Amino acid sequence: MSEFLDFQGVSKRFGAIQAVDQVSLEIKKGEFFSLLGPSGCGKTTMLRLAAGFEQPDSGRVFLDGRDITDLPPNKRKVNTIFQSYALFPHLTVRENIAFGLEIAKRPKKEIGAEVGAMLRLIQMEDQAHKKPAQLSGGQKQRVAVARALINKPQVLLLDEPLAALDLKLRQRMLIELDMIHDEVGITFLYVTHDQGEAMSLSDRIAVMDSGRIEQVGTSAEIYETPRTSFVAAFIGDANFLEGKVTRLVDAEYCRLSIAGLPEVICFNDKSIVPGASLFLSIRPEKIQISRDKPETSPLRNIMPAKVEDVIYLGSTTKYWVRSGGHRLQVLRQHFRFFLDEKPIRWKDDVWVWWHGDDGFMLDRFRSGDEKLISAPPQKVGEE
Amino acid sequence: MRKKVREGLLTSPSFVWLCLFFLAPTILVVVLAFRPPDPYGGIGRGWTLATIRSLANPYYLAIAWRTLWISLVTTAACLLLAVPSGYTIARASQKTRNFLMMLVIIPYWTSFLIRIFAWRSLLHPEGLIKKALVALGLVGDQASLLYNSGSVILVNVYTFLPFAILPLYAAAEKFDFRLLEAARDLGAKPFAAFRRVFLPGIRRGLLTAVLVVFIPSLGSYVIPDLVGGPSSEMLGNKIAQRVFVDRNLPHASALSVILILAVLAPLAVVLFMQRRKGKVEINLSEGL
Amino acid sequence: MRRSRLPFVVTAAVLVFFYLPIAILVVNSFNASRFGGSWQGFSLKWYARLLHEPEIWTAARNTLLIASTVTAVSLVLGTCSALALHKFAKSRLQRAHYLLIYTPLVVPEILMGISLLMAFVAAGIHLGLFTIFLAHVTFCISFVALVVLARLQDFDDAIIEAAQDLGAGWWAVTRRVLLPMLVPGLAAGGLLAFTLSVDDFVITFFVAGPGSTTLPIRVYSMIKHGATPLINALSTILLVLTFTTVTVSQRLSRSPLREGT
Repeated sequence: MSEFLDFQGVSKRFGAIQAVDQVSLEIKKGEFFSLLGPSGCGKTTMLRLAAGFEQPDSGRVFLDGRDITDLPPNKRKVNTIFQSYALFPHLTVRENIAFGLEIAKRPKKEIGAEVGAMLRLIQMEDQAHKKPAQLSGGQKQRVAVARALINKPQVLLLDEPLAALDLKLRQRMLIELDMIHDEVGITFLYVTHDQGEAMSLSDRIAVMDSGRIEQVGTSAEIYETPRTSFVAAFIGDANFLEGKVTRLVDAEYCRLSIAGLPEVICFNDKSIVPGASLFLSIRPEKIQISRDKPETSPLRNIMPAKVEDVIYLGSTTKYWVRSGGHRLQVLRQHFRFFLDEKPIRWKDDVWVWWHGDDGFMLDRFRSGDEKLISAPPQKVGEE
Repeated sequence: MRKKVREGLLTSPSFVWLCLFFLAPTILVVVLAFRPPDPYGGIGRGWTLATIRSLANPYYLAIAWRTLWISLVTTAACLLLAVPSGYTIARASQKTRNFLMMLVIIPYWTSFLIRIFAWRSLLHPEGLIKKALVALGLVGDQASLLYNSGSVILVNVYTFLPFAILPLYAAAEKFDFRLLEAARDLGAKPFAAFRRVFLPGIRRGLLTAVLVVFIPSLGSYVIPDLVGGPSSEMLGNKIAQRVFVDRNLPHASALSVILILAVLAPLAVVLFMQRRKGKVEINLSEGL
Repeated sequence: MRRSRLPFVVTAAVLVFFYLPIAILVVNSFNASRFGGSWQGFSLKWYARLLHEPEIWTAARNTLLIASTVTAVSLVLGTCSALALHKFAKSRLQRAHYLLIYTPLVVPEILMGISLLMAFVAAGIHLGLFTIFLAHVTFCISFVALVVLARLQDFDDAIIEAAQDLGAGWWAVTRRVLLPMLVPGLAAGGLLAFTLSVDDFVITFFVAGPGSTTLPIRVYSMIKHGATPLINALSTILLVLTFTTVTVSQRLSRSPLREGT
């Protein structure tokens, strides 16, 4: 599989804001690729650069080997699903879907046949005569998808297509989009701020922030081995600890010293030398918590802690504990009937531990990123 | 560059037309005020300040003053009637609102002259209103309801009231009436809430209403001509008289300059206020 | 919360105020009596008399001729103007353009009338139906432009992008998407221009020549030269015509974008 949609060093500025900053991205043919990030990160601009509604200030865009940077949108073999669907209000469902083929001046018989096939695909044959104003949100979305797919574009661009739908509908459309991608096999470029959508649908994800790409990888790569604090904090939750490498322990592990905590062992995937200072990050669900001290083991990091906050969520409980001056978030799933155990409560003394494989070291840490993690406010006043 | 060409192409038809038939003629009027009149009607040769200086006359001052105060009274009366109307209509249900606004707009769509004529008949010494008032003993048999400043103001208000209601209704529609409830909750009496919360809340509409009544009212011509008398002559009448009766075009121009200045003054004030506060656009198409 | 009755009373009074003179006018047009003060029986004689006034027919013909041509021209000019104002909204040219479009609406008609008269006199153009046409287009452009602009601002710009995305060049976009969606706005603007032209008096009075009358000018001279009841009849006819026009215009200007939901 070759690079199919290729951004080479594209930049775009709007007034004082650098929306996209020297971004290079290669999307493979047939992939379901997501651009994930908060509002204003530049993902929508990237989409519009691919569609042709914006011209990059610098850099080029390639599609299937051809340089399409200077092509206007109507000449690109690319179609867009807009966030507001942008269905033509004065045309019926049938006419909306047929639009692209009519512009291309295909023979009437062909158009009739293809539109019919599309209507069957989206199961709206008996609504073909209706106008968009008479359709529900989900129906409008399906018409938008049909209208785009009928032109057999090389890439389908989707701009937060599920944002306007309510929760149940969104879940259903997620499955439908996935099915359509599997059936049709076209490259999808999907833009969203919702990590759940991105992770469940995509073959690969690019996480963006402030016009730059933070990390590109599969859902698992992004979740389990985030490279920067932004990615770690934007997707799921994370704990951050600042420390220094003290020594290497064989080829795979190293030891870190962190202020206030006993020495920590960590998987060394970055070939770091002793003396280097860095940030260690651990996902809350990888930390265990209990009243009794666990058995020691060479690859386990065990430390005492005091519980500061508890939030019971039904299948899981979130704990915030303080150990050696650091505040850690722990997520615990209840494997047994919860009320059978003696529950861990506020101000209890507990032990927390995690396996050396489960921590990861970050390439880049920004203190502002910690605000992305939801947490209860620090206590006002003392006991 | 293609974008600029397209912009130029789309803009030029209307732009050129309006420069040619609106901007240039207006400038011409100001220029002609500096010319002497030709004794046979028309425009004389050469330049002079005499035409303009002849305006510094108590006679013209009186006309200008009368034009001003009639317009002010008209505007005040229109506001007094339009604010409660806009308020009532905006509080009604959607369907009633549209219906009521249609009712307000329909008289506006009928011929302007006809409406004035209708009042002329009504206010006529032999007309209905006079008869009704005499029957009620409110006026004497000799009293004339027509051909005075009062009738001019009345018909002015009648003509311009829809123009005042439209923007006030548009502003009231956007007003969040729960603010009034909040004010009452905090102890304000109904009228105080109205004054302190509602009126400031619709001030854009108030400003638009004032402008669309005051400025056209300054230029009233037909109304004082048909229902006003010699004692209620306004600038408009004088200008028309100079053009059609006296055939003194430069003098008419000079009077027009006064009118232009009188019209520009409130607009300049508004523009100045806008620049200080940022963008407070007056949207005349509201309600269209 | 107890609401004061006062605003409601004022509104009702205002509506009565609006319709009273019109109602009396209409009633009097069927009044056999010459003077509006007393009712002397139902009669259609004034309508009959109206049909035999050749001057009125000439004036009506002129008015319609002018109004139709004015509507056509101001629709084109006004729509181009609205498109420019909407598409290139932030440029300096458009700010000047907007000012130019906006000002005729706030300027009293008499100023426009006299300035056009001076201009025609100075340029040596003979005053007649043509000058009336030119004058009417001048103030209609602004109204049409603002109505169409308001409709354009309701537009979802994504729809134009969607059309381009599906392969339409600028002509196909205009023909297949932009114009069809604008039609209600164009119709409303056109009707507005038509009614304004038919109804205009002051500006027309200034720029009309001796041989060219329009209905409003005719009505004016009828009023000035004696209050004949013919005016009542003529007025009622005009009232009915404009009322029908307005109702049609309102139906057409109901945006298709808001229908349904």
